[in-house]
Amino acid sequence: MRVSAATLEGLFADALRGLMELVKPEYIRAQTVRVQIHVAAPDSTALLIDFLNEVLTRCHIRREIYPRAAFRSLTSTSVDAELEGHPVAGFGEDVKAVTYHEADVREHEGRWSTMLVFDI
Amino acid sequence: MEKRDLIKIHDWMWEIPRKYRWDMNVPARVYTSEAMLDSIVRDRSLDQLVNVATLPGIRKYAIAMPDVHEGYGFPIGGVAAVDAEEGVISPGGIGYDINCGVRLLRSRKTLEEIKPFLPKLAHSIAREIPSGVGRGGKSVFKGADLDRVLQGGAGRIVELGHGTADGLKAIESNGRIDRAEPKLVSDHAKERGHDQLGTIGSGNHFVEVEVVDTILDDAEARRFEIEAGQIVVLIHTGSRGLGHQVATDFIRVMTGCMPRYKITIPDRELACAPVSSPEGQQYLQAMAAAANFAFANRQMITDGIRRAWRWELGKDEPLEIVYDVAHNIAKIEEHQLDGAKAKVIVHRKGATRAFPGQPVLIPGSMGTASYLLVGLESAMRETFGSTCHGAGRVMSRMQAKREISGPELRQRLSKMGVIAEAASTKGLVEEAPEAYKDIDAVVDVVQRAGIAKKVARLRPVAVVKG
Repeated sequence: MRVSAATLEGLFADALRGLMELVKPEYIRAQTVRVQIHVAAPDSTALLIDFLNEVLTRCHIRREIYPRAAFRSLTSTSVDAELEGHPVAGFGEDVKAVTYHEADVREHEGRWSTMLVFDI
Repeated sequence: MEKRDLIKIHDWMWEIPRKYRWDMNVPARVYTSEAMLDSIVRDRSLDQLVNVATLPGIRKYAIAMPDVHEGYGFPIGGVAAVDAEEGVISPGGIGYDINCGVRLLRSRKTLEEIKPFLPKLAHSIAREIPSGVGRGGKSVFKGADLDRVLQGGAGRIVELGHGTADGLKAIESNGRIDRAEPKLVSDHAKERGHDQLGTIGSGNHFVEVEVVDTILDDAEARRFEIEAGQIVVLIHTGSRGLGHQVATDFIRVMTGCMPRYKITIPDRELACAPVSSPEGQQYLQAMAAAANFAFANRQMITDGIRRAWRWELGKDEPLEIVYDVAHNIAKIEEHQLDGAKAKVIVHRKGATRAFPGQPVLIPGSMGTASYLLVGLESAMRETFGSTCHGAGRVMSRMQAKREISGPELRQRLSKMGVIAEAASTKGLVEEAPEAYKDIDAVVDVVQRAGIAKKVARLRPVAVVKG
């Protein structure tokens, strides 16, 4: 999946939304759930991958999806966010992990972008 | 990389010399035919193999098997042995699905005897063995109960009444890797795996009822109690969500600790730590726990298949383990290097241990064939006792979904006499025979290269998958 956005925050938000579409949630319930998340990493590429993996793990464990995130703070080495989402009955695609393969978060001419490769 | 960058050593092996790139610590070797090499150089698997050759402490060669294809960081179908004291351990060199592996069961039935029962048998197996995305099993293991599985592997499942202790002898490492430490498996990993014992999962994992199509070595077949026309059952799965989470957790740990050990690598997925470091030792112990979970999973699945088997064919019908072998694992082994015994950590990612005399199980794609091989002495000299692990993909899952029609595939399998019990048509299409290399050609290379010998060709008659 190729992701690009005008800001680093936009890149994280769009990558999250993309991941939540990729898992193909089944029977999304109306109930709203919120989760706090904090991740630290050596650089922005590792941070994005670790952030998405942390979200994916919670999806698997809690059977929930989190398509929306409010970022309380986001730097190139840490992210603190509140995720909002819904319980689901299951997933149509088995996304097992978000890999570092080909991931490279870069800003070029005012746009942030990266490739994301998933282990399915 | 282009074909001209490789030197032909003999008809079945090619070498990428150390001078190909300044940072290679050893040359890289590829077991392949010339025709297969033409297809291998089309993806980036050999560039990834060169990256593996840069790992600190790697010994002799970075090795690719004929089923090699592009993976995350390490190529799938790769072997790397590193010095057990001076080298590094890399979770990416084992893969996300720790101890993904194969188990072969032999029955005393022939195809003719079983044919009338086959549709019901396939259905019963599908009912007993949950498969598909995120499907949990019938048993839940939590807290100390799960920790005992992580320490005891297949043996713990036998203690719980699912199988017999003598069957453990027919499993690599007797179904239990030493030094497993459940405390080093994260709560997240335990939560992902707590209800997954006894389940296949999705992707290329399956249970297949197969018939022994051809015997290719009479003496070895007799030793493994295999004969033509006999029905066998092949199980292909691993450590499910628990193993994936252990891999994810430790790739992250190692990404963070590499600067402290002044390790630089050409690909983030090769994240590693010195074997002797706390992080390296912790990964080895957590990996052993995840590997034990996978052995336990295949033991639970065997129990489910036996239930289905007895239900459909009668209570006195046995299914015995021929062998169970991992193809995503790191093992501490002794090998002969520079005229002396040396302790190394052999990373096998999409590669199978093939010690002399040991049965080697090579699953193919549904609708083609699988193979029972036997390891040879020359594998110890050349490949750290390793061989190929399967057919190897030539088509991504996305491409397969775009190009192959589900109904047409089901019809084709039916015409070939293969019953398909799949949780989803999508899962079936992703694993269509044309998405894989020719398994016959792959095993032909390892036989001709002298690193394993064909014993029997197996043909699927019923496929149960996610």
